[in-house]
Amino acid sequence: MRRLLLTAAATTAAALTLAACGTTEPAADKTEKKASEAITLKDGKGTEVKLDGPATKVVATEWNVVESLVSLGVDPVGVADVKGYKTWDSAVPLENEPKDIGTRGEPSMDTVASLAPDLIVATTDLSPAAVKQLREVAPVIEVTSADGTGQIDRMLENVDLIARATGTTDRAKSLRDGFEAKVAEGRKALADAGMAGKDIAFADGYVASNQVSIRPYTATSLIGEVNEAVGLKNAWTVKGDEAYGLGATDVEGLTKLPEDTQFAYIGNDDDPSATPFTGELAKNSVWKSLPFVKAGDVHRLDDGIWMFGGPGSMEAYIDAVVGALTK
Amino acid sequence: MAVTATEPATEPTAARPSTVPSSRSGAAAVTAGIVLLVAVLAVVDITQGTASVGPSEVFKALTGRADADDASVVVASRLPRMTAGLLVGAVLGMAGSVLQAVSRNVLASPDTLAVNAGSYLALGLAGATGLSLPMLASSGIAFVGGLAAAAVVLGLSGLGTGTVRLVLAGTALMLGLHSMTQALLLLFPEQTKGLYEWNQGSIAQNGFDGVLQMLPIALIGLVGLMLTARRVDALALGEDAARGLGVPVRATRVTVVVLAALLSAAAVTLAGPIGFVGLCAPALVRPLARRFRGFARSRTAMPAAALTGAALVLGSDVLLRALVGGDRAVSVPTGVVTSLVGAVFLVAMALRVRDTAGAGAPDRLRIPGRAVFLATVAVLVVVLVGLVIAAVLVGDSKLLLGDVVNWAQGRAGRTVSFVLDTRVPRVLAALGAGAALALAGTLVQAVTRNPLAEPNVLGVTGGGALGAVILVTTVPAAGTWGVAGAAFAGSAVTAVLVFGLAARGGFRQNRLVLVGIGVASGTAALISLLIVLTDPFNANKALTWLSGSTYGRTMPDVVPVALALLVGIGVAVARRTELDLISLDEDTPRLLGLRLAPGRLGFLVLSVVLSATAVACAGTIGFVGLVAPHAARALVGRRHVRVVPVAILLGATLVCAADLLGRTVIAPAQLGAGLMTAVIGTPYFLYLLVRSRR
Repeated sequence: MRRLLLTAAATTAAALTLAACGTTEPAADKTEKKASEAITLKDGKGTEVKLDGPATKVVATEWNVVESLVSLGVDPVGVADVKGYKTWDSAVPLENEPKDIGTRGEPSMDTVASLAPDLIVATTDLSPAAVKQLREVAPVIEVTSADGTGQIDRMLENVDLIARATGTTDRAKSLRDGFEAKVAEGRKALADAGMAGKDIAFADGYVASNQVSIRPYTATSLIGEVNEAVGLKNAWTVKGDEAYGLGATDVEGLTKLPEDTQFAYIGNDDDPSATPFTGELAKNSVWKSLPFVKAGDVHRLDDGIWMFGGPGSMEAYIDAVVGALTK
Repeated sequence: MAVTATEPATEPTAARPSTVPSSRSGAAAVTAGIVLLVAVLAVVDITQGTASVGPSEVFKALTGRADADDASVVVASRLPRMTAGLLVGAVLGMAGSVLQAVSRNVLASPDTLAVNAGSYLALGLAGATGLSLPMLASSGIAFVGGLAAAAVVLGLSGLGTGTVRLVLAGTALMLGLHSMTQALLLLFPEQTKGLYEWNQGSIAQNGFDGVLQMLPIALIGLVGLMLTARRVDALALGEDAARGLGVPVRATRVTVVVLAALLSAAAVTLAGPIGFVGLCAPALVRPLARRFRGFARSRTAMPAAALTGAALVLGSDVLLRALVGGDRAVSVPTGVVTSLVGAVFLVAMALRVRDTAGAGAPDRLRIPGRAVFLATVAVLVVVLVGLVIAAVLVGDSKLLLGDVVNWAQGRAGRTVSFVLDTRVPRVLAALGAGAALALAGTLVQAVTRNPLAEPNVLGVTGGGALGAVILVTTVPAAGTWGVAGAAFAGSAVTAVLVFGLAARGGFRQNRLVLVGIGVASGTAALISLLIVLTDPFNANKALTWLSGSTYGRTMPDVVPVALALLVGIGVAVARRTELDLISLDEDTPRLLGLRLAPGRLGFLVLSVVLSATAVACAGTIGFVGLVAPHAARALVGRRHVRVVPVAILLGATLVCAADLLGRTVIAPAQLGAGLMTAVIGTPYFLYLLVRSRR
């Protein structure tokens, strides 16, 4: 112990002499204010955010806002968990190679600061303490990810909010129009195929050890609302959580679904634990005896549609679900 | 919760026959009673679940008259779950029973021997290296991990050498292994996904596959243990007596520990670590042994413990599903409930246990000279200063000292300002929390004269975290002082509870630590439960509070702990002689006319304030309060005028180093300081244990 401490002390002294002087950045020359058209907006928390002008160097801490930014043609310079985004949200792929700023829950302040962004888009899921610190780095808009009411409206408003901050309101308008057109198109296609009003149960599932948990997307979830919008009926009776409308159930919980339910899910080829429906459950007798399994009404939708994403992901979802049901 | 949780405890008394308990018939009647209870619980369990398959459908299915769907639910989901519950409970109860018998230690169990933690880490490692294994192979890995952990703990503590050392080694290793696994989870989130939920333990099954694969292993273990039962009884007479009877002492012990590890590994692979069953089940059987002589022998006590274990696991499952309903119960792991039930049992047991074990080996009396003390302090200060500077300079973006000078003078550039504005509070939070926890540990150890006493082990930090989590989940906008206040309230409540319960008959070593560990695991389970029920998709929040993190700290967050530290150091310096006297023994201070009670209370309150503010500042950071005072005493002797400054410096150094490593090793992702403290602290602590062995 004592020898260890001594060595540590010696190393320290040596390191100190080496790092003694020098700076990585020249001392500041304070005032460099752009006087271009300033933007003032209210974010999802009702906080007033002032920007010197439309933001171009943007950092995003959640995938849904990353997706919105990319859709609006603003390539973020910093993204939390880039690898995860690429795995789970290929419906709206990144156009650039943004810097990874760490996990979505605890983005690295150092990395964010070193990117010197002129806007940080966070969500209300990020801890208030972290948001407070990010505010020191750059203006932060907190986007409400989900609050249990009007998920589609919430999603489109979020895009509008980000668009105003980045000066891309025209793109936002066309995104909104595109989404609404896609909904109408899907609705028509389903009606033509005689699928209007059909029961649908969308879920994802996880395998932990040899146990399967299934996460129903109830009527108050974003996907649930999109299902209703294209003329389908949500079959889940379980109650979702207050914000995202996600429930929890297991295989036997599926027996409560109506007989002629269409069951749809999104898995991931890069994540074997996220695809129990073809793996763990395939030889489970409860699963096999479910009427919609017997009838072959189980649909795996394309990978990479982010279930909590923006218009891009939801359009991909509509394409996928309509394609599966009208096949 | 407590009222319902103790329900199974009353069962054996209810089943007590009214006739005079003659040895054999009485034991048989009690056994029949437990069997009946298990049967009732099993039947209730298969009527519960997410499908609308109630008692009548289950009855029809069992008699072959139900429609195919209901029958498949019963056969592929309900019956496997029930069987898994029975199997896991029985196996754990038996393992605990035999471990306690062979180590002659009422606290030995798969949990306290770190078997579960070892299995967990082994599975985590397998997951991280991308191995996707069939169940039997992963059970093998879990077995190796569990056996290794048990061997380390038993090797370090020595068999039959008293409770304190065993718990000390076991708890330390468990904390360390858990932290390493948590670090793995964070480092390899893709590969180890699901391991976090699994860690809580759940007996849900998809079909009989898992149960059938584990059954042979469990049978081998159970039969093997029954065959050694006679030898285990001989061991209970003492080593020499056993040898006199021709029992191979060492071989018996090794066999028993290996078999018990095998059983725990089977349970862990099937259902994850279901906590505390191995500890509680034998403890529930023990009072029976006093009443009915039939249970005194291992051959009867082991099956009784197995039955009791099954009743505990099934009872917890039934209770959970009855309380929160089938749908919610899916997301609440059974292990959380057994932990809660187990915590209550542990506390109740601690209150009844007769404290016979003497003090743990006191630190060797060494009185290093003044020069040694001064040199130690000087070296520590240099190390700490170096660390602080490194912590400020190193991070995702590397800085140089000139940047810091610029920043201190308020003329740093944009980036440097941002980086330092967020980095400096974190460093200060780590320093403050480390120092406060070390001081709190020193005070508690002095007052209770208990080498194991530490805010974390005693549940005080857990209580603080619980208080903070309750506030954060109910009032999301709570500020710094609110969180600190809630943490203090939580700490104070648990401290009053722990010390109050342990105070009966003086702060006896075993009782205090047992009550503390019980409360600590109870609070951990409650925190998990609270987060699962209120904010199921925010595992991050759970990790922050359970693993200790300096993430997102700002200057105001550091103020409470700094103030507490100032007061604490002041008091400790002013009352240093009193601390020396109190920590000596019970009589000396009295002889000198010192009034013990008020002084003790004052020190305890102070340590609660210190640990609460540390929790509010950095979450629950384990180990520091335990390790720093031990290390300080090892370095500079027992006098508090020397121990206090050295412990504080060590605590600050440890957490600061942990924080630095946690922030930089996997940057830009981050590891909590608490995880790193445990990873650094465990080896050192085990080294201390080895060294103090005589």
